[in-house]
Order: sequence, then C-alpha cells, then structure tokens
Amino acid sequence: MRFGRTSKAVGVAAIAALALSACAESGGGEDPGTGGEGEASGGAVTVAEVNPFTSFNSDSATGNVDINSKVSYLTHQDFYYVNDALEVIRNEEFGTYEVTSEDPLTVAYTVNEGVAWSDGEPIDAGDLLLSWAVQSGYFDDENPDAETGTTYFAYAGATDGLGLTSLPEISEDGRTMTLEYSEPYADYEIAFGILDTPAHVVATGGGLADEDALVELIQTAPAGDPESPEDRPELQTVAEYWNTAFDTTTLPSDPALYLSSGPYVVQDMTPDQSMTLVRNEDYAWGPEPALDEITIRYIGDANAQVQALQNGEVDIVQPQASADTLASLEAIDGIQILEGEELSFDHIDLNYSGVFEDENVRRAFMYTIPRDSIVESVIGPLDPEAEPRNSQIFDIGTEGYDAAVPVNGSEEFAEPNIEEATRLLDGATPEVRIMYNADNPNRVDAYTLIAESAEQAGFTVVDGGLPGNEWGAALGGGTYDATIFGWVSPGVGVNGVPQLYGCDSASNFNGFCDEEAQAAMDELIVTIDPAEQQELSITVDTRLFETGYGLPLFQSIGINAADEAVQGLTFNPGLVGVWWNFWEWSVA
Amino acid sequence: MLTYIVRRLIAAVLILFGASFLVYILTAYSGDPLADLRQSNAPNREQLIQQRIDLLDLDVPPILRYFSWVSGAVRCVVPFALTCDLGNSVTGIEVTQLLGRAMGQTIMLVTAATILAIVIGITLGIVTALRQYSGLDYGVTFMAFLFFSLPVFWVAVLLKEFGAIGFNNFLSEPNISFFATMVCGLVAAFLFYLSTSGALKRRLLWAAIGFAFAFGLVWFLDLVGWFLTPGFGLIVVALLSVGIAYGVTLLTAGLKNRKALYSSLIVVAIGIVAYFAVQPLLDRGTLLMVVLLGIATVLVGLVVGYFMGGYDRRQNMTAAGLTAFLMGFLILLDRFMQAWPAYFNNNRVNGRPIATIGASTPNLEGDFWVRGLDTYTHLLLPTIALMLISLAGYSRYSRASMLEIMNQDYIRTARAKGLGERTVVMRHAFRNALIPLATLVAFDIGALIGGAIITEQVFAFSGMGQLFVQALGRQDLNPVMGVFLITGIVALVFNLVADLVYSVLDPRVRVKA
Repeated sequence: MRFGRTSKAVGVAAIAALALSACAESGGGEDPGTGGEGEASGGAVTVAEVNPFTSFNSDSATGNVDINSKVSYLTHQDFYYVNDALEVIRNEEFGTYEVTSEDPLTVAYTVNEGVAWSDGEPIDAGDLLLSWAVQSGYFDDENPDAETGTTYFAYAGATDGLGLTSLPEISEDGRTMTLEYSEPYADYEIAFGILDTPAHVVATGGGLADEDALVELIQTAPAGDPESPEDRPELQTVAEYWNTAFDTTTLPSDPALYLSSGPYVVQDMTPDQSMTLVRNEDYAWGPEPALDEITIRYIGDANAQVQALQNGEVDIVQPQASADTLASLEAIDGIQILEGEELSFDHIDLNYSGVFEDENVRRAFMYTIPRDSIVESVIGPLDPEAEPRNSQIFDIGTEGYDAAVPVNGSEEFAEPNIEEATRLLDGATPEVRIMYNADNPNRVDAYTLIAESAEQAGFTVVDGGLPGNEWGAALGGGTYDATIFGWVSPGVGVNGVPQLYGCDSASNFNGFCDEEAQAAMDELIVTIDPAEQQELSITVDTRLFETGYGLPLFQSIGINAADEAVQGLTFNPGLVGVWWNFWEWSVA
Repeated sequence: MLTYIVRRLIAAVLILFGASFLVYILTAYSGDPLADLRQSNAPNREQLIQQRIDLLDLDVPPILRYFSWVSGAVRCVVPFALTCDLGNSVTGIEVTQLLGRAMGQTIMLVTAATILAIVIGITLGIVTALRQYSGLDYGVTFMAFLFFSLPVFWVAVLLKEFGAIGFNNFLSEPNISFFATMVCGLVAAFLFYLSTSGALKRRLLWAAIGFAFAFGLVWFLDLVGWFLTPGFGLIVVALLSVGIAYGVTLLTAGLKNRKALYSSLIVVAIGIVAYFAVQPLLDRGTLLMVVLLGIATVLVGLVVGYFMGGYDRRQNMTAAGLTAFLMGFLILLDRFMQAWPAYFNNNRVNGRPIATIGASTPNLEGDFWVRGLDTYTHLLLPTIALMLISLAGYSRYSRASMLEIMNQDYIRTARAKGLGERTVVMRHAFRNALIPLATLVAFDIGALIGGAIITEQVFAFSGMGQLFVQALGRQDLNPVMGVFLITGIVALVFNLVADLVYSVLDPRVRVKA
C-alpha cells in the first residue's frame, strides 16, 4: 500500500492532534479535593429520597411526584407553609394576604417589594395572575361527556376553591391581587399559592412577547364555559408549554427553566442519581437557612438507605417504614431516629345497605372490632406505644383531635365489647362479607383479627379479600358489606370532609347519608372561622360514630433517621416530610 | 449463509411482534394503575383519575393501545425510517432518553463483572478439569455452588456491611492485629495446600511457604501504612513484570522458546524505562490518553517480538505483546494508587472511600485519576456480588467441556506424537474447550443489557432493571415496553450471533442455507 505525501502529512497531523487532545488541559492532580465546600461555612448535608426528580413544575399532572414538590419547597418561597403540627404559618417577609371582606369573601394577596426570581425578575402581576389562572381552571371548558372543549393547564391540585373566584383585580404596582369568591370558601387560606413556574418564562416560552402580554392575555381571554366551548389558541400554546417544558431529569441548559424564589437554587443534577442545591444568594424574604449546600440522592431501597446512612454517604434517610428497617436503624451508633404518625390511616367502613342496613347490626359489628389487637399486631413492632386512631376526621396530634376524641363517641369502641354486640344482635347471625386488599399483609392481619372477634358475637364472616389490582375497582360496587382500606388525610383544610362523608359524593363508598352531618358539612365548607370549622367537624365526626359508619383503625408510622451531627430535625407527617423546616437544619 | 441469516432475521421480527404483544397485554392486566388514587380522598380525586387516564390512555383497551404503541415503535426498528417514537413515561420524559441513560448505567455496572466472571470462571474450570477430583477441584466446586446458591440481595447486604462500612471503619484506624495477620496466613496456607499436588510433604512445604508469604505481606503492608498510601513503586512493578514475562511465556510459547522469553524480558526492560518517562504525561491523564498509551504499549511488544525473529515470530509477538499489555496495566494501577491519598482525603469522600450506593460521589471534583478511583470504589461491591454468583456457570461449563476434550482421540494422538503437556493443553485442548462456551458468552453479553434488577435496586443504580421494575409498578407501559424491546432485540441478535460464531469456530457445524 502506498500513501501520498499529503495523506501521510494528514495522518501524522491527525495522530498528533489525537495525542495532544489526550492530555488534560490543566495540570491535573495539582489541586484535587479542594472544590465544593471550599468557601462553605454553614456546612452541607446529603439527604436520601426514594423517588428520582423528574420536573421543575410540581403542580402539573406529569410533575406531581413527591420529590418534585420537595425540591420546589426548597427553591420557592410562598405566602405560607405548613408546620409539623399541621398548622398554616404565614410568611410575612415574602408577602401578606388578608381577608378584606367576608361577604363576599374577598382576599387580597400582596407580594413584598424586592421579592424576585433568581434572574432578578420581580414576582408580580404576571406570576400572581398565572398562578391564579392555573389553580382556578378559569379558562377550562372541557365537557368530558360531550367530548368538547379543552382543559388548558393540566393542574394536579384542586380547582374547586379558586374556581369560585372571578377574574381578580391587580393593583397598579402589580404586587397586589384581590380575589373575590362567589361564596365563602372554608379553605381559602391554602387555596392560592405562587406556582413553581415564573410567568415571564412561561410567557416567552409560550410564544408571547413578554410577561405583560401574558397578563393581558389572562385578563382578556374569555372565561371557560363547558356549555359553549371556545378556542383560545394563544392560551393553548402557553398552557402546553407550562404542561411539558419543565419536565426534565437533566439540568436544563437554559437557567430560566429552574429559577428559584426561595433559599436554595439547583446547581447540579445527575439523572436518577443525585441533585445538588446551593444557596440562592439574592434570597432575603423568609427564614435564612444555615446550610450552604444540600445534596439529594435517590435511593429506592429502604435497606440501601440505612446502610448508606451508616456508611456516611447520606446524612438523612426517609426509608419505607418496616420493623426490619427500624431494627437495623436501632443497631447503628451515632444516629437519631425520628418516628411519628403519618397522614394515612386504615379504617373499616360498613355499608349502609344489605346486612348492615340496620343500625343495630352496624353498631354490634363495631363493638366486636378489636382495635387494640390490630394496632399491636400491625404497628406495634414499629411503635409499641401506638394507639388506635379515635377520629374519622382529625389526625392524631392536632388540636382538633384532642378536642374531638372525648366527645365524638369513639370511647365506646375503645375495647371490643362482645356482650353488647351479642345483646344488639339478639340471636341473629348476619353474614358479613369483608372486602380488603389481600396482597397487603397489614390488611390481612386486620381482617383476620376482626373476623375472629366478630364470629364470637355471632356474625358469620365471609372472606372477601381481593388481589391488589382488583380491590380498588371494587370499592363502592356493592359486592361486600364491609371494607378495610386506607385514606390519606390532607392534613390541612376541611374541604376533604364532604368528599368522603357527603351524601352521594365521589369517595363515599358505603352510602352514608345523614341529615345532621350533611347540614354540618354544608355549613362547614362555607365557614372561614377555624374555631367554627372545628365545631362543625366534630359534629360530623360524632355522627359518624353514632350512626355506625365503621371505625378508624390506626395511622401508619413513618420513620426518618439522621446522623447525630445534623441538628434541628423533627418528624413531620405532612407532604414535604422532614424537609418542612430545612432552614433550621445545621451541622454540628 | 446469507439466506440463513435473512430467514433468521425475519423469524426474529415475527417473534418480536408476538412477544411484545404478549408482554404488553400481560403488563396492562398486571395491576391497577389507579390503585393509589382510588383510596385518595383528595377533593379533586376525579380530576386526578381523569388526568391519569389521559396520561396512560387508559380509556383505550390494551389491545388497541398496543397497536398505537407498535406504530410508534416500528419506526425505531426499521432502518432509515422516520423518527423513533417509544412514547413518554408517565412523568413526561421520553422513553428513548430514559433507555439511553439506563443502558449506560447497566452496562457500566455489569460489564466488568461479566468480563471478570468469564475470565476467572473459565480459568477455574480449566484448572479444576486438569486436576479432576483433587482437593482444589472439590474446593472450587464447593465455593462455586455456594456462591451460585446465595441470594444476591443478601450477598450485597453482607458485602456492604463488611466490604464498605467495615472496611471504611478499618481505614480510619488501619491497624491489623496479630490475630488477623495469623488468620490471613492460615487462609493462604490452606489455599496453597489445596492448589498444589503431589506428596503430602511437598504440599505441606507449599502451605508453609504460603503462610510465610501472606503473613509477611500483611505484616509488611500494615507496617508501612500501605492501606492509606498504597502503591507499587518501581521495584514491585519490575519484579511483578518479570514474573508476568515468565508466566506469559510459559503459557504461550513455553520457556524453552528462548526468543519468546527474551522478547518478553526486553519488553519489561523497556517498560521500566517507560515507567519514568510516562509519569509526567500521566499526571495530565485522560481516558483517551490511557487508551492510546495502551495501544502503543501493545505495539511496542509486538515490534520487539517481531524483531527477535526466530522460527516462530508469532509466538514471540504474542508473548511480548501480552507481557507489555499486562505490565502497562500494572503501571496504570500504580498511577491510580498514587492518586489514592488525594481521593481518600477529598472532602466529598471524607475518609470513607468504599461506597454502598450509586455510580459516583456527587459533586466530586478531581482529575482523571481521582474520578477513576471514584468509579472504582462505587463499582467494586456490585461487581463482586454479580461476579460471585455467575462464576459457577462458567467454571462448571468450562470444566465439563475441558474434561470431555481431554478424553478425545486427537488429544491422545497429540500426546502420542510426543508433544509437551503445555502444547497439548494450551493448543489442542483449551481452544477446543472454549467452543461450547461461545454460546454461553454470547447469551450473557446479550443479557448484560437487560440489567440486573436486584443488584441495581440494592446498590441504587438506575439501570434497565430498575427502569423496568419501577415502570411496571406504576403500570407505566411505555418504559416497560422500551426495556422489553431492547432486551428482546439484543437477545435475538446474540442468539443469531452465537449460532454463526459456533459454525465459524467449529468446522464440523455448518449452518444450512
């Protein structure tokens, strides 16, 4: 083979270039290990999370994953947050909201001056209006039955609160928005919040000139009416951008997609592995965090989380709670374990039809339910001091719970009372089919204990357990007489109450319908005074026990653990879990 | 041949269609995608359910949904077609993007384990076959089956407990007690006893040598604080390299072939000079540079072998090339060890180098060597776990195959011709014994891409197995099918490759056109 001179020269040059490019640019090895925390003073922690991050828009249908909300909590400030006692705490350094009129209910939201996104753009009219437009579903005119119209923003939250408001007024400086409700709305405090998505980014990304154009668009586009759907092409592009543009597992090349308005800003992301957040230098409107850097690592396996904590790779873990996990955590020196009741609770509901149509039969059955034994066998291994939940509505540890329990009639069912049950049955032997998720060992345990106890009083219990993929669809289908399953309590707000216990409402599977309770709930959802709300909720709670609705069994236990050096952690049953007070964390 | 391949490929396409349909339908009916929402008491429960239905197209029956998926997926398989569309996951991320990343993670996790398992497994198999029914044979067989039957999640947890947490604790105060040193010595003595043959006296002598060697080594390493500042240094590199030169020559050409031996030794001499020459260059190391240097090293070996001449240049070149490569590897290892203190004291690592989760330390800054060590410390445990459980397959297959070959007529013929034992084993038996393993290796490389579900879970690697399992749990069909598609295609292709390779390797096997 012969090569021409040119090709030889090219070959030599190519090899030389390759060899040169094979050298690292800086003299490597000179300065390893001084990066990262170089200028750090407040320290850094690494937190293990179960799910990997997928979206900078945690309010959208696709981004509605717990980890996205937690990152949003770290990188966004809002008018309020929820503390570990499930109370709403206002953040007046960010902005204020006040009820300016109770009839009609009018709430004015004002963002403080100087509050801005991390690119310097202030949070004002556009952000307030966009947040309102998304959370109110104001423009949606979809009619699912007729298959006409459109749902613009695929918002994962509830629109029924802000859905009651009309197009809000914006003050001249753009920092105050006034919402007027067509009827009083009980949960008005948590109805509105600033979204993750900056309006100026959504505006330009959605094909508009700037934020002002978006303000203009929202103020002028016609309100949605499912009866007469209309096309809103401009809003459609904006909504599509909002729905999809913020979903990513890698750090976007455009920083506008991950702007921060809170204490931290995302610095680095390794897909499906980790994410690093550092201080947002501009932030000055809320509690100042002590830590300089927070790294989140995604570890799905509970045992892997525990061992990573033990090996010092992570400082805080939030594993799926189980007796094994707790045991292995307790075996580790130098860590703190935080335990508490989560917001999900198991309960047994009795149908108000069939064999349980008679209130006496229902109450007789309730008398047989051995709640102590169930708690002991299911969550005893996690928390030997755990007690049954004694309220259908209030969560353990809240003020309302303590007020409700002595008066709601739950005391009667504290211990199984077979004698009373036998007396009420009066020799009858009703056949009860209990439906539950047979793939969930906790539910199987509960069923076994309940069935055993009920049979002592004369009930004939039929095992109606269904596989994990079938039981959910069977809810409310009338194929059973009683069912054991779990609710996830929202923690804050009363709007969920009629959802479960209202006559014919969507999640009311057992056909409970009680005039007194219904009247209380009708009033509850239009009452904005917290004390009155509590009174009304207690009325509903009491009626649930009196009429033989069924019984709440227990709240699940959550476990967090952390290196002893990390201080300021408390257990929090709420949505953001241990993160709720991240600004108070410090490293000793 | 060509018609055979075409026929196989057409069959493969039909199989893919059939299998993907089955998998799709099975997955669709395997769970309730709305399960978590059904027990939600959120005020907007209906709306959330509707959103999920829209995202997953649940209002379309699975059979029809399959066809809409296939219409997008087909474009990925047909070459020169339109853009590939495997759909989005339920979190709005493109499946093609998810697959690309998951494949990278999986390949990183499994490659080293598979290569090591193949090399070590086959070596063990051959050695035990040559020493059939010896203590060594029984020992290896026992260990192989023991590891084979251990559940991987349990092995992984133990490895983390002792290999990572325990070892890191040890590193914070690296003092080896006299007792531990004794145990190391005794274990070595036992291993030496098992692996030698002959009269009891001879074996005991070897055991004593083994004991002295291990005891001395551990004591010495402890004394010089080697665990915190590891390294070979020139002397050890040189000594090991001379050993390698002799070993490689023994296996490839026989020590009687002086030309081969001298080429290997010359390469070692060049290597010792090069050790000094490349150090400043290595300080600026990159992956590309290491690869180029590796190629250059092998070339030097080949050239030396070529110019030594003699009656069989090829033997010289093989011996010298292999020696050069292995010595280069030693020098590389030595350079990595030099970077160890920098890695160990990095404030992201903080004196606890061996990791239990993930593929890298987040926010680690450092040069090529530090990052290389970081990958090493993260891959070490999963690689060991995966390797241990797959050793058995390879060692048993290669042992059986070798035993069969050693009883063949042509081996007797070779011996009758007066060939040396080395030539008989290495030339006539070993090569032929590898033929049946070609199928196994091809399958295993195919299976690489499929991921190791449990290992990935335990070591928090987000590879193909995790992608599959998590999507399955959420009833998110697109990623499930994406993983299936890749695994299915790779399995079919490697099946075909195995058959073709077999016919190339073994002239007695012919594919029917």
